[in-house]
Amino acid sequence: MSDIDVHHLAAAYALDALDQRERAAFEAHYERCDVCRADVLEFRGTMAEVAGALSTPPPPSLKDRVMADIAVTRQLSPSLVAPVPAPTGRSRGSWAMLAAAAAVIIALVVGVVAFNGGNDDDPFNDELAAVLEQPDSRMIELDNQSDLDGMFKVAWSPSMGKAVLMGENLPVAPDGKAYELWLISGDQSMAMYVLDTAGDGQVHRSVPTPAEPTAWAITMEPVEGSAVATGDIMFIAEV
Amino acid sequence: MGVLRPLRARHPEPVSVDPDDIVGALLLRAGRGDQSAFGELYDELAPMVHGVVLKVVRDPAMSEEVTQEVFVELWRLAARFDGTKGTARSWASTLAHRRAIDRVRSEQASRDRNDRDAQRAVAPHDVVAAEVETTLDVARVRRALAQLSDLQREAVELAYFGGHTYREVAVLLGVAEGTVKSRIRDGLIRLRDELGGEA
Repeated sequence: MSDIDVHHLAAAYALDALDQRERAAFEAHYERCDVCRADVLEFRGTMAEVAGALSTPPPPSLKDRVMADIAVTRQLSPSLVAPVPAPTGRSRGSWAMLAAAAAVIIALVVGVVAFNGGNDDDPFNDELAAVLEQPDSRMIELDNQSDLDGMFKVAWSPSMGKAVLMGENLPVAPDGKAYELWLISGDQSMAMYVLDTAGDGQVHRSVPTPAEPTAWAITMEPVEGSAVATGDIMFIAEV
Repeated sequence: MGVLRPLRARHPEPVSVDPDDIVGALLLRAGRGDQSAFGELYDELAPMVHGVVLKVVRDPAMSEEVTQEVFVELWRLAARFDGTKGTARSWASTLAHRRAIDRVRSEQASRDRNDRDAQRAVAPHDVVAAEVETTLDVARVRRALAQLSDLQREAVELAYFGGHTYREVAVLLGVAEGTVKSRIRDGLIRLRDELGGEA
């Protein structure tokens, strides 16, 4: 999908009128597009007014249920990362199961994986769509803490045990170095993949998730990959 | 398998809200765990949130569930509200709509709604005008919607209230996808201009 096409999706996005694949493509685009971000904010403000005109008080009993719920619901910490609305399902039951399973899973260091950056007909798009179609899928943009350009997003589904990584606009790694993806689960960091930006600054990669991620991170490592991170965190998102 | 170094924010930014944004101020307090502030926030936002959810989901019992989910989510995410990215009210309506849409689409995946959808497409009606109370805000929104062309209004309503993707709207209205995309865009720009900066 070209950038021009993506720009035109801002209005439909603000109305939640994109299917999941287009939603993901647009979200990957708009965080770094000032025009689209401004459009979406404005359109959402407009629709908030329309929403106000729909006002219908819920039954009074609902407040008691909500207040009872929140009293036993932990709040997320302020984020260092801009939250990206993710398509979410109702059931989170599988998370607990996965966390238990993760305790016995040994992470693998996977060697250098060379692959081509994505293009419009990339089968990666189907992999991304398959993940996003899961009711428990999440998507998050990693906060860029480096001095370099570029962005990463990760979408994953615990029930599928699979994640897809999207990188855009990435500078080529210095000679002998490469980006490496880490899945952080509790106090464990698992080396996932060494990433090759293939010269066009894009990374499209699907990876298994051997454990429940509590954060995703990218560091710069020697090109053969590290089992233990040696570089500074360049991109990070807490889940 | 190693442990990454502790995380540091490179640019820690103080949470801020527009001083005129009362709802935002409540959300800020709620983000620090203030349940009574959240109760006030609920009173401010519940009619709007429930109105959006009910409009999209339609089933009253299911709508209550979704409204409840939306508020628990607002509580969970309160500390992550960023006043520089729109008002709290706008954030809440976005979240409410997204949750309602997600629910409708997951229900739809297990049920064929084609017949009902087709009927709706044959006789699109002025959904807002038919059901809202006669307050000033409502009159203003109704007037704004009336400024849209028929196709713009139908496209926006089928997408926002009907929970259809623009591709589905194209099928419902029997026009090209590109046409729907641009009608939605034109319609929202028109709405925005008609409603002015009074958000």
